[in-house]
Amino acid sequence: MSLYADSEYLVRDEIAAVHARQFKNIVAPGAWGSGAQRRAVAAEARRAGYEVGLLEPPPDGPDEPDVELPEVARRVIRTIAASVHDLNKNFYDQAMADGLSDAEYVEIVGVVSRLVDLDVFARGIAVPPRPLPAPEAGEPTRERPGTAVHEEAWVPTIPNGPDGGEIGEALYHGQPMPYILRALSLVPEELRAHVELEVAHYTRLEKIFDYEYQHHEGLTRPQAEIVAGRVSALNDCFY
Amino acid sequence: MFLRESGRKHGLDINLEALVRPELDSGVPGGPELLEFAEAVIGPDRARLDAARNTLAEKLSRATVTGASAIAGNFSKNDRIADAIGIPIEPSDFQPTKVMRAQLGLNDFKSAANTFRHFRDD
Repeated sequence: MSLYADSEYLVRDEIAAVHARQFKNIVAPGAWGSGAQRRAVAAEARRAGYEVGLLEPPPDGPDEPDVELPEVARRVIRTIAASVHDLNKNFYDQAMADGLSDAEYVEIVGVVSRLVDLDVFARGIAVPPRPLPAPEAGEPTRERPGTAVHEEAWVPTIPNGPDGGEIGEALYHGQPMPYILRALSLVPEELRAHVELEVAHYTRLEKIFDYEYQHHEGLTRPQAEIVAGRVSALNDCFY
Repeated sequence: MFLRESGRKHGLDINLEALVRPELDSGVPGGPELLEFAEAVIGPDRARLDAARNTLAEKLSRATVTGASAIAGNFSKNDRIADAIGIPIEPSDFQPTKVMRAQLGLNDFKSAANTFRHFRDD
């Protein structure tokens, strides 16, 4: 059954399948967090959304975390989820000073941002947030890409071109990528999951400059862009 | 950038200022309904969202609601990634967007600091 069988608004199978994979990925072991920890990250992000009214709790109650997260992680999660205007360099530096590693931080950014994407979508089509699956057992990979370096972002990223090495080639497919498609590269699996959602929700990457291509029924490219632009303006996102 | 260029391709006279002043005519068909839905779906007022969704479905289509929800979700994700990681805009986009950034007041966004740490307007 489709993940959105309860919605009055039709969701095409491709998008529902991507979302099902995304939820499964969120509760699976990552590079630095276990499945239970990543599920707790998602649950905390939702709790922050419920508290400020950006999300409505499901009728059967909010998802309960399986593990307790450190205070610094909870602060980072809640700010990214529900207080986007408070993201700045001091916030990042404080998270590092309080004990998160740069790679753990990037993994949290990826999980929370993808969950917000999925939950905004659900809210848009008038259904409650989809339940978080049970966490998957297993250990984090603890793999850090050796070619990630400090460029202009706060965290290391894998550069475009030969400097990115084999992992850069695998992630970017030999194409120069804009920062938004490299930002999470310190945790390659988070970048892959972000791009999967990008392609499902926004457009196929090879069609980005094809302004006549229409990715969603009933929404031309200028209509898609005005929604995108308004959301980013409200979030005060300069990028 | 993509709004302006895609509008040109579709023969539309786009007013980018509508992104920050939604009472203005954006030049996009269905613009007022899309702007209202975009704001409501990421805001705390559930009644406003329900009204915006119904209007969008009536004036454009039910499929438009699904597509606009996907776009709003995607850019909620991207804005968080960009501003939590501290990425600047692409160097190649900096000078070409100078007039637009000033016109829309984008340079006043807090996250503009992530770009102005690296680049300066002439």
